[in-house]
Amino acid sequence: MIYLKDIKKSFNQQPVLKGINLKIGKGEVVTILGPSGSGKTTLLRCLNFLEKPDEGIVQVGDVQVESKKATKREILSLRRQSAMVFQHYNLFAHKTVLENVMEGLIVTKKYKKAEAKRESELLLEKVGLGDKHNYFPSQLSGGQQQRVGIARALALNPEVILFDEPTSALDPELVGEVLSVIKAIAQEGITMVIVTHEMSFAKEVSDRVLFMDRGVIVEEGSPLEIFNAPKEERTRQFLNRISRDFSVSFLEERAN
Amino acid sequence: MGKAFDPSLIVDFIPTLIYYLGVTLQILAASVLLGMVIGIAAAILRLFRIPVLNQFVILYISFIRGTPILIQLFLVFYGLPAILLFINIDISRMDALYFVIITYALSNGAHFAEIFRGAIKAVDYGQTEAAYSVGMNNSQSFFRIVLPQAIRIAFPNIANSIIGSLKDTSLAFTIGVMDMMGRGETLIAATAHALEVYLSLAVIYYAVVLLFEKIFRLYENRINRHQTVDVSVTG
Repeated sequence: MIYLKDIKKSFNQQPVLKGINLKIGKGEVVTILGPSGSGKTTLLRCLNFLEKPDEGIVQVGDVQVESKKATKREILSLRRQSAMVFQHYNLFAHKTVLENVMEGLIVTKKYKKAEAKRESELLLEKVGLGDKHNYFPSQLSGGQQQRVGIARALALNPEVILFDEPTSALDPELVGEVLSVIKAIAQEGITMVIVTHEMSFAKEVSDRVLFMDRGVIVEEGSPLEIFNAPKEERTRQFLNRISRDFSVSFLEERAN
Repeated sequence: MGKAFDPSLIVDFIPTLIYYLGVTLQILAASVLLGMVIGIAAAILRLFRIPVLNQFVILYISFIRGTPILIQLFLVFYGLPAILLFINIDISRMDALYFVIITYALSNGAHFAEIFRGAIKAVDYGQTEAAYSVGMNNSQSFFRIVLPQAIRIAFPNIANSIIGSLKDTSLAFTIGVMDMMGRGETLIAATAHALEVYLSLAVIYYAVVLLFEKIFRLYENRINRHQTVDVSVTG
């Protein structure tokens, strides 16, 4: 389904990914955790070649690309296996909500306009934006924009949806609405790879959790294993640091 | 010196001069359209740093920016036939209007190129990434996603540039084109009422510029409708 072999990537001679090997099965929900600078977003972006790996093999669905010899054509067909939900939403600013969802269907899936429209309306209904078809992205809240981003990704019916910190740019009170949409689609059996800092969400939604640090996958396992019984010292340290923040914010909430 | 100032003449002169507005607008329309083509092409050469052509475009733009348009007009008017004569093409009998259009097209092209280049770079790269993520190729993402947004960004500057160009066409008479200004010169020669002629011309140019500004503003509001944030619907 997804297969990565020995993926390496450097920025200005600074190694960011130091040989990543990974297999993800169909329908699996995998979250990637790790401190900032650990390479988790870069890894995710290598899956659709928004970053071109320096070395290694990337396979998504039945398209396999050898990084060093990747042609434009191969990259294009690899990209058509996946869809991405961005940290900053990246909705097409000059298109309405409905057009944003339709765009991929019309351009890359060659749907007829009416068909694309029907499909997109259903998806917008699903993410709770059935009444916002003709709004432009700038007229929506962050949470609403991100739900449009999710609908745009779903529309492509991809082999896998890649989530790049989908709630990091949101106001705290809007995080919930986006996470609940992601949880709902996770239950439909769509393969998903999620980079996130939302620990309780990761615990709840994942089949498997990867912990990355300094360009390698330090540890992987079920949420239960990673959160309750991490084997590696680095994982423990990271989770301690995070959970301290957790309990502090929890206490603050109680205090208010 | 001319005759005594007679404002009533302005009323007579305006209709005579306005008759030649068509020529002025013709120069403007042709040179703006050609300038767009040159400008977009030059911007692409610059953005993708096409070797040799990139340097050529840099030189072309800096030359146009650094020399008065009147000089450019004479250079084209005298220079182009001289160059073409080398390859045995004689255009010395070509209508002066075409030399004006060529000059203004080159001038507009240089200005548009810089405006477009800045506008294309100003579109957030995240838009391109989003286009790639839904499976678009380079040209689909450029023409469907980046360019429409770049045109919106470029539009106010393009509009200013077109208005500047409209006023610059008043130099065309210097190589014998009979536009509004050219007709004005002949009126002065015939009546010796220079001030009245220039006042009439000022009124006409001013009115046309105001009209253009109005049209541009309406169009700008239309293409910017997705930018207007209506607070009442945010929630």
